[in-house]
Amino acid sequence: MSEEEKFDAIIIGAGPAGAACAYVLAKEGKNVILIERGATAGEKNVTGGRLYTYAMELVEPGLYKEAPMQRKVVREQIMMMSANSAITADYVNYDFGTEVPQSFTVLRTPFDEWFAAQAEEQGVMLACGILVEDLIERDGKVVGVRAGDDEIYADVVVAADGVNSFIAQKAGLRDDISSHAVAVGAKEIIELPSRVIEDRFNLTGDEGAARMLVGGTDGVLGGGFMYTNSNSISLGVVLSPEDLARHGKKIHEILQDLKMHPAIYSLIKDGTTVEYGAHLVPEIGFSGMPKKLYRNGLLVVGDAAGMCMNTGTILRGIDLAIVSGVAAARAILANKGASDVGAAYMQQLEELQLLPTMRLYSKYHEILSNPRMISTYPNMANEIMKMIFGVDGTLPKRIDKAMLGIVKRHVTFGQIVADGWKGFKATT
Amino acid sequence: MPKVLVCYKWVLDEQDIKINLGDLSLDSSRAKYKISDYDKNAIEEATLLIEAHGGNVDALTFGSDKVKQSLKDALSRGPGSVQWIGDAAFEQADAFVTANVLAAAIRKNGTYDLILCGEGSADSYNQQVAPRLAALLEIPAITFVQKLCMDGSRTIATRKLGDCTEVVEVEGPAVISVLPEINKPRIPSLKQVMAAAKKPSQEIKLVELELSADDIIPKTVSVSVKGYIMNRKNILFKEASHADNVAKLVASLAQEGLC
Repeated sequence: MSEEEKFDAIIIGAGPAGAACAYVLAKEGKNVILIERGATAGEKNVTGGRLYTYAMELVEPGLYKEAPMQRKVVREQIMMMSANSAITADYVNYDFGTEVPQSFTVLRTPFDEWFAAQAEEQGVMLACGILVEDLIERDGKVVGVRAGDDEIYADVVVAADGVNSFIAQKAGLRDDISSHAVAVGAKEIIELPSRVIEDRFNLTGDEGAARMLVGGTDGVLGGGFMYTNSNSISLGVVLSPEDLARHGKKIHEILQDLKMHPAIYSLIKDGTTVEYGAHLVPEIGFSGMPKKLYRNGLLVVGDAAGMCMNTGTILRGIDLAIVSGVAAARAILANKGASDVGAAYMQQLEELQLLPTMRLYSKYHEILSNPRMISTYPNMANEIMKMIFGVDGTLPKRIDKAMLGIVKRHVTFGQIVADGWKGFKATT
Repeated sequence: MPKVLVCYKWVLDEQDIKINLGDLSLDSSRAKYKISDYDKNAIEEATLLIEAHGGNVDALTFGSDKVKQSLKDALSRGPGSVQWIGDAAFEQADAFVTANVLAAAIRKNGTYDLILCGEGSADSYNQQVAPRLAALLEIPAITFVQKLCMDGSRTIATRKLGDCTEVVEVEGPAVISVLPEINKPRIPSLKQVMAAAKKPSQEIKLVELELSADDIIPKTVSVSVKGYIMNRKNILFKEASHADNVAKLVASLAQEGLC
């Protein structure tokens, strides 16, 4: 092992987690190599999404202002869909976007490329087009990585290699993915003139909207999302692969049906699909995380560590990835030259509120896995709206009785109590 | 030990360029850059030569202000150093201007035993820069090279001419343009990428080359670039491996904007 080939840290994967970790380490003068399998950072990414800037502030205050963001989100929307109708809750707050809390929609290919370039400017050695094939271990300790015939060494290796983390598997920290631990996502980027997007979503200038879609997945467990970018819309679904199989449906068919839903079609019509992607999403939350996120000489961050959350109202992943990258960097910095920094990393994840937040939402996955949440209740709510707003000249039923009738047709009293109790327990 | 120079061009990846079916205009808004394909062969061949004979290989490129992005990729493929001229003049440059700029930069550096280029660039494929460079430097040009050997100060090249091959020999410095079949460019390894980060690169400003105004005014002006649509493509993919056929099919469809 020649000394000149030994790094302070080897980071595998130049997504937000890896770039954040590399940036913070290099800024403190550490000798860091960031290895990316794609020809450029972001090349392999298809996530459509949003970035909460509090996470970027941990990396470097103000840095996000230079990032290639799309639109700052001021409209938060939830859409409950039935076959031919939809209820949209639209919360607008023009204070969003001036300071934290704020979020921006991002397109990951340009964002990741930019973020990795920022890390490079801090002195990170960025090596793209390289696939790390194995970890090098000595006496039970991870000491380096192997790519082709080349071996390089470091005090700490950081696995930031995404949802299906090959490195975490190699290290024995997680099994090969199982179908119930992940969701499968499919997304299209649909290009439209920025003025059209602003008119359709009631936005001005660089304001943006983020919308969660409930229902609208042909009864398959999961949901949809819609983000407005500068001159495109990211529209996608995140579904349970098991439930897809159970229904005998294909994800691209469901996405296509969703696009054709009249309440969605009017938002995307005349647009051009410029990108289509599908990917695994570690959506299950806290219970889907590996039991252990470290070994001597190895830390696992971001999607590789299952750090992703669906609260039913928002999806979070990119911010958690960045926070975990910062946590790993801080743990390494606090323990000069040491390899066994796992405990320090876990402590950082607690202090930065990442693990407490994931624990808080840990039961949400169970609620969202209830088929009633994605079809029965949206249908019921839409039917109630129809009853309230539909006038046909006949004598209307008393609203309370009519409502009770609709509710009874969809669910039993026991189901409502059980679902309500689960929801109450999950949030307290 | 030979002193070799390899010239390359940083071009838009044609696979990312889409043809708008309405007016046949090109949409390169989503296109990334790459080292022109045949130039990768030239870099590989130069690197193989010095790996076999010793010596050193330098790289030289003329491009837009974005050309700096290419340095790491170029250096990870073997050259020990790279010089780059990034200037807005590149956007309008034709082969006349490019050859003038490259020749001036080469003269500044002294002489090389061999200067390698790709047979043509992946974008305009004029096949002119190498012969023009040779003329400006007053050394021989050997084109269509599919095999290259060095024996002391002699260079032996096999040229591909339709159904025939011609072996030529040249004494002393020469400009060689290579065909893609000459080699298979390497995929840089981790150590090669790491080494590239430590190799020197040097910017040469266009003004430092002391070219006259006439030298950098293109003789040929591109009036328009449009997609060309044939009635039927009749493309057959006949590789032995089906995987290759599928890859070529998908690449072809993507280029047409069909997937």
